[in-house]
Amino acid sequence: MATVTDDRIAADPTAVGPPRSRVARFVEAWPPSVLLALGWIVAMLLIAASVEWIAGYAYTAMDLRARLSPPILFGGTERHLLGTDELGRDVLSRLLYSIRMSLLIAFFGTLIAATLGTFLGILAAHFRGWVEDIVLTMIDFQASMPFLIIALAVLAFFGNSLILFICLMGFHGWERYARISRGLAIAANEQGYAGAVRQLGAPAWRIYGRHVLPNIASTLIVSMTLAFPETILLESGLSFLGLGVQPPLTSLGNMVGYGREYLTRAPWIMLAPSAVIVLTTLSISLVGDWLRDRLDPTLK
Amino acid sequence: MLRYLSTRLVRALLTICFVVTFAFVILRLSGDPALLILSPDAPPEAIEAFRKSWGLDRPVWEQYVRYFGAIAEGNLGRSMRDGRPALDLVLERVPATLALTIPALILKLVIGIPAGIYAALHRNKLADRMTMLFSVAGFTVPSFVLGLVLVLIFSVNLGWLPSGGQDSWIHGILPVITLGTAGAAVLARFTRSAMLEVLGQPYIRTASAKGLAWHRVVVDHALPNAAIPTVTIVGFMVGSLVAGAVVVESVFSWPGVGRLLVVAVANRDLAVVQTILLFVAATMVCANLTVDMLYGWIDPRLRTRRVAGAG
Repeated sequence: MATVTDDRIAADPTAVGPPRSRVARFVEAWPPSVLLALGWIVAMLLIAASVEWIAGYAYTAMDLRARLSPPILFGGTERHLLGTDELGRDVLSRLLYSIRMSLLIAFFGTLIAATLGTFLGILAAHFRGWVEDIVLTMIDFQASMPFLIIALAVLAFFGNSLILFICLMGFHGWERYARISRGLAIAANEQGYAGAVRQLGAPAWRIYGRHVLPNIASTLIVSMTLAFPETILLESGLSFLGLGVQPPLTSLGNMVGYGREYLTRAPWIMLAPSAVIVLTTLSISLVGDWLRDRLDPTLK
Repeated sequence: MLRYLSTRLVRALLTICFVVTFAFVILRLSGDPALLILSPDAPPEAIEAFRKSWGLDRPVWEQYVRYFGAIAEGNLGRSMRDGRPALDLVLERVPATLALTIPALILKLVIGIPAGIYAALHRNKLADRMTMLFSVAGFTVPSFVLGLVLVLIFSVNLGWLPSGGQDSWIHGILPVITLGTAGAAVLARFTRSAMLEVLGQPYIRTASAKGLAWHRVVVDHALPNAAIPTVTIVGFMVGSLVAGAVVVESVFSWPGVGRLLVVAVANRDLAVVQTILLFVAATMVCANLTVDMLYGWIDPRLRTRRVAGAG
C-alpha cells in the first residue's frame, strides 16, 4: 500500500522540487483538519466509555426547582453547565449518555450491515448463477428504495424495541458492501493466490476467510468509515421523529426532538445535541475521506 | 434498444412485486392482522368475521395471491383511525408535498449542477474548496438541525418568516430552503466528481491537443459524458419527490405525505403505511425507468450494445 502512495506522489509534477522540511511532510501526511477530527472522535469514544464516572447526574434525574435553567455562559449556575430541560434534567449529563447511545447504535448497525453485505457479496461471487442473480436483485431493490421509508414501514409493522432498532440500522447500506465484496471476490478468485490455495485442497470458507477477506479488508474498512456518519444521521433522524430510541432512554436525535418544543424559551436543549451530531459526523467523514485517499485510491 | 427497454420494464415490474411481497411478509410476520387492526379485546365473533372477510382463514399461498389481486384492484384497505380508504388519504396529501419538493428540486438543480461543474473546472482553487466545504456541510448537517436553526434565526430571533404551517407561500420558504440546500450539496459533490472523472480521460486530452478551444472541449466532450452518472442521482431525487420530505415536513408541520407517514407509523395505522410504501415504490420505479430511457438517449452505446452485457 505504501508504494502506491509513493508512486502517486512521484507522478505528481507539483511534488518535484527541493526537499521539504519535516513539518511540511508531516502536515501533508496528517492534515490539521484530520488531526482535529481524530481528536474529536477520540474524545467522543472516551466519553462513551466512561460516561458513568464523568456525568454529574443520572440521565433521568430531575431537579424540578431548576427547570429550564440556562447554560452557565447565559446566566445559568455552575451546577448545570449546559443548563437544564423542562423537567430540570441536566442537559450535559443527558448529552453524555446520548453520545454513548448514538455511537453504540451506529457502531452495531454499521457492523451488522458490513457483515451481512460482505457475506452476501462473497456468496454471490462464489456460487455465481442463480444465487448471484438473487443477490443482485436484492441489491437493486435496496438501492432503489429510500431506506427511511423502508425503516418507517418496518417500525410501523413491528413496533419498536432497542434490539429491533439496532437490527434495522444493520440493514442500512448493506448493499454497498455486497457490491464491493462481490466485485473484489470475483477479481480475487481469478488471481493466483486463491487458485493456489484451492489447488492445495483448502475448503471455501478457508479461502475466503483467511485469504480473500484480508486482501479486501482495507476497502471494506474505508466503506465502513464512510457509512458510519450516515448511520448516525439515520438514527438521529428517526429518533428526532419520535420513532427511534424511546424514552426514558436518550439519544442525540431524541434530545433534539424533545428540545424542539422549547425552541423559543430554551434553545440550548436542542442546540447542544445538534452541535455534537454535526461535529461527530463531520469528523468521521473527514477521517473517512482521508483514510480512503491513503488506503484505497480506487474507491472514489 | 427495444430489448434494452423491455428488460428494464421486466425489472421494474419485478421490483414492484418484490415490494408487494415485502409488505405481505412483514405484515404476516408482525402478528395476527386481525388483532392488530381490531383490538385484542374485541369480541371473538368480530375477530372471526374479520378473518373471514380478509381471507385470513385460508392457506398462506392463497392469501398471497388474494393480496396481489386486491392491490391490483387498488384496494389498499382503510385507515384505522377514520375508516376512510387509505389511498384517498394518501392522494389528497400529495399536492402539499409536491408544493415543497418541486421547488426544492429546482433549487437543487440550479445550485448543485453549476456549482459542481465550476468546482471541477477550477480544481483546487478557492471556488472549488468553498464548494467542497459547502457540500461536506450539506452532508453532515441533518435536515432537522438545519431546519430548526433556520427557524431559530428567521422566525424566533428576526421574526421575518413563519415557523410552521401551510397558510401561504411564505410558509414554504424555510422548508424549501432546508430541503434544497442539503440536496444541492449532494448534487454539487456528485457532479464535481463525475466531471473530474471525465476530464481525466484521454479523449479530453486528444480534443484539447488538436487545438479545440477549451470551452468547446468542455461543452461538446466533457458535459455530455459527465451527464450520464449525474442523471442517475437526479432520477433518484425525482423518484423521492413524494417521500423525500418526511423529516422536513415534520419540522415545519407541513401537512404532506411525509407527515402523514410519521403519524401513521406512530399510530401503527398499517393500511396507510402500506399504501405509502407501495406509492413510493411505484414513483421510484417510474423514475428509474425514465432514467433508463434517458440513458439510451444520452449514451448511444447503450442503444447498440447487447442486452446481456448491459447488466
